[in-house]
Amino acid sequence: MTEPVLACSDLRYAYLERFAALDGVSLSVAPGETVALLGANGCGKSTLLKVLDGLIFPDSGEFHAFGEQVLEDKLEDEQFNKGFRGRVGFVFQNSDAQVFSPTVREEIAFGCLQLGLDRATTADRVDDVVSMLDIGELVDRAPYQLSGGQKKRVAIASVLVMNPEVLLFDEPTAALDPRTQFWLIELLHQLRTAGKTIVLASHDLDTLPELADRCLVFSEEHRVVADAPTGELLADHDLLLRVNLVHERSQLLRR
Amino acid sequence: MTTSTAQSQPAPAWLLQREVALCPCGCIGKRRKGSYVAKTLSGASGVLRQAMSSDDIAAQPGLLQRLDPRIKLVSLLGLLVTVALLRSLPLLAGAYVVTLVLAAASKLSVTFFIKRVWLFIPIFTGIVVLPATLSIITPGHVVLPLWTWHGQPQGFTEQGLHSAGLIITRVATSISLVVLLTLTTPWVRLLAALRSIGVPRMFVLIIGMAYRYLFLLLDTVDDMYTARKARTLGGGGDSAAGRRFVAASAGTLFGKAHQLSEEVHQAMLARGYTGDARSLQVFRLRRIDVVWTICAAAGAVALLLADRGLGG
Amino acid sequence: MHIPDGYLSPQTSAVFTVSMLPLWWQSARQVRKVVKSRYVPLLALGAAFSFVIMMFNVPIPDGTTAHAVGGALIAILLGPWAAGIAVSIALLIQALFFGDGGVLAFPVNAFNMAVLLPFVAYGVYRLLAGNAALTSPRRVWSAAVGAYAGLNAAALATAIEFGVQPDLFHKADGTPLYSPFHLSQSIPAMMLPHLLIAGLVEAAVTAGVLTYLQRANVPVLRINAPNVALTPAEVARRPVSPVRVGMVTLGILALISPLGLLAPGGAFGEDAPEDLDLARYHLSAVPTGLQKYTDFWGNALLPGYGDGSPWQYVVSAIIGMAAIAVVAGALVWLLRRVRGGEAGAADIDGGSGVDTPPVKEGSGSPA
Repeated sequence: MTEPVLACSDLRYAYLERFAALDGVSLSVAPGETVALLGANGCGKSTLLKVLDGLIFPDSGEFHAFGEQVLEDKLEDEQFNKGFRGRVGFVFQNSDAQVFSPTVREEIAFGCLQLGLDRATTADRVDDVVSMLDIGELVDRAPYQLSGGQKKRVAIASVLVMNPEVLLFDEPTAALDPRTQFWLIELLHQLRTAGKTIVLASHDLDTLPELADRCLVFSEEHRVVADAPTGELLADHDLLLRVNLVHERSQLLRR
Repeated sequence: MTTSTAQSQPAPAWLLQREVALCPCGCIGKRRKGSYVAKTLSGASGVLRQAMSSDDIAAQPGLLQRLDPRIKLVSLLGLLVTVALLRSLPLLAGAYVVTLVLAAASKLSVTFFIKRVWLFIPIFTGIVVLPATLSIITPGHVVLPLWTWHGQPQGFTEQGLHSAGLIITRVATSISLVVLLTLTTPWVRLLAALRSIGVPRMFVLIIGMAYRYLFLLLDTVDDMYTARKARTLGGGGDSAAGRRFVAASAGTLFGKAHQLSEEVHQAMLARGYTGDARSLQVFRLRRIDVVWTICAAAGAVALLLADRGLGG
Repeated sequence: MHIPDGYLSPQTSAVFTVSMLPLWWQSARQVRKVVKSRYVPLLALGAAFSFVIMMFNVPIPDGTTAHAVGGALIAILLGPWAAGIAVSIALLIQALFFGDGGVLAFPVNAFNMAVLLPFVAYGVYRLLAGNAALTSPRRVWSAAVGAYAGLNAAALATAIEFGVQPDLFHKADGTPLYSPFHLSQSIPAMMLPHLLIAGLVEAAVTAGVLTYLQRANVPVLRINAPNVALTPAEVARRPVSPVRVGMVTLGILALISPLGLLAPGGAFGEDAPEDLDLARYHLSAVPTGLQKYTDFWGNALLPGYGDGSPWQYVVSAIIGMAAIAVVAGALVWLLRRVRGGEAGAADIDGGSGVDTPPVKEGSGSPA
């Protein structure tokens, strides 16, 4: 078995030292794998993604990425910081938080410039990503003028332009219109076939079989209660009911 | 079955009924002027918004807009020092006229520019300098006697008026220079320029974030006054409940603001931000920058030399 | 307390610029060590908070305005170096975008409000608070006294910087080139409103927020005091989210805001610059403020008085002002008792207390 890209053991995290968000979570992601984190709102999925992106640090437990332990202290090291940030990309749930530059072009260029890529190479990469995601007409506009779907595309472009090995998506399809949703699912497919490792948080079960190889299910007590291939897991209706992922009147159960 | 689900409580009956609003619509001719504080605050956030997001002005193809922001920042600082050193009233007035010319050359509406500058002056300088024109503060040759004290005429003195004139013209010119800088430079480029003249990363990062918070705080406080106004519609009323309401709504907003700002910070970190704002735009010195620098330096030296001759 | 450009000689600014540069550099270093990157949003919030507090100002007749700064609170929560950064940034934004305080005068203003104030306030606070538990009342009144002393130290420094200008820089015929007010005029003009109003506002904001944090969010109090042992009661206490902390902070702002009504209908008062009419600023702005002042007190204290004849305005205005005077008097009396009748003397202490030793932070990471 190959060495995992991301490995967490027994993570615990509490907001304000009191409100638990992760209570002993372990996870291991192999290269090229697509893993979905499932669970009701507030079960700790977003917190786990932020730990995986080195944005918050667990109160106890360890997190290794690419074979190295990730610590707050180490991320202050310039070399380690650039290495880690360049290899892991994070698409936030709230696109408003992610688009903060004066123009779309600046927004997409931000990450590459921060990592020290020169301006000419950056500009070329920006052009490539822009044409790949078909957002050419947006580049000179201000992000706050965009619609929700357009913002999401820009946010994704701003992460893809750095060409990370690992992509983290927090609720990627939430609050998107059907066409953008479909576009996004297609894109995730492409990225999978390109060999990217993907971790995504979701509570949208309908699109899951197309998206993920494996699913981790969080209970409302902030623990992982199941870790199984997608098809197997979606068949376990009792479990889905128990963790509040489906309601007894959901479509899924009638199938 | 109504809209409620099997598990949750059924909706209260009144929610399912159509009813008129709690108060009838329409005017009854009773109006109040907007709260002074609310006006102050919304005015403040308005000015701030206008000042900080004057990107449309900053995007116009004017003279100052074409300059490298670093050159602009440094040269305007130099001109500020020059203005501060001038001792002659006519030369200061001349320098003020030059700022108007610069504003026009930068496609700013001159009337807007003058209003923008003089808005600040009466409050921060105009009123407070008045007593200094009188002989009680600034003794000297009385030009307009107002009263007598122990047989001596007292009133406006030549020295006092001259001093007040010096201060007001100098303040006006200084503010004009600063307004020229901030109106013709996009906020992001100004931050980058600050960084490139040696302001520590930490400061630039916090300035950037503080400005996002500022709008939210001002809006929040503004909303609190609006809410208080709404509460006191009929005068009196339950003020404790009103306060709670105000605090709760303001708190929610504030919480959201804080959360959003923290997320923005995380999103920046996630893409490798370490406090240095890099821009795709290259700061390249062009001929216009060189010409401008020479002109500004020559102007400053000329003013100072003339001041030696005229002032004293 | 904001000194505009044109009031100080460039020589004065130069001296302060040279002395502020190492101080800013040192504060950036200190903050990176103690505060760490994840508290950067908190610092930014501090800067914005200080900015808003400084907007509520009362004009005083020597070229400046009286207002609280909020620097004492930030110094107590995040350390005086962090407060230095937060207040400096608030001042910079004001100088660049509002013309409130000059750009050349920025280092001078920063010295008064971002260095002197937080360090005096923090020094007094640490001296008085000793090793008391984080939730003890002693910490609250120590903070209030510190804030009062710090603000007045800053005001005194401003007055001195103004007051020396006419003696140092004038033309041959005696025409002052910069600020025309002498020390004998600038010190009383500055100190009176600060001793009577602004100092109390600073003390009230600081003590109010601190009291709230003691009940609601002890971890925030520990950021800058990681070595103070927690009492069992504090450990058991349930922290409240930052949202509620923000709520209360703004609530306190709202409570002190009637003071802001005394400010002239200044740059911020007018939505439309077309309305600009100089005479209005001198003649009718304060009465407008007074009327709204009346509104507030009418609604708060005398329900029903706010909607009628001018007489009622006048009556409720007088009552409102009397209420302020009583509250201010009571606070002064209280401070005098607390400090053994040395309320006045402490400011002189504060003024010369530049070298009050800043208490070194432990290297322990925040809770």
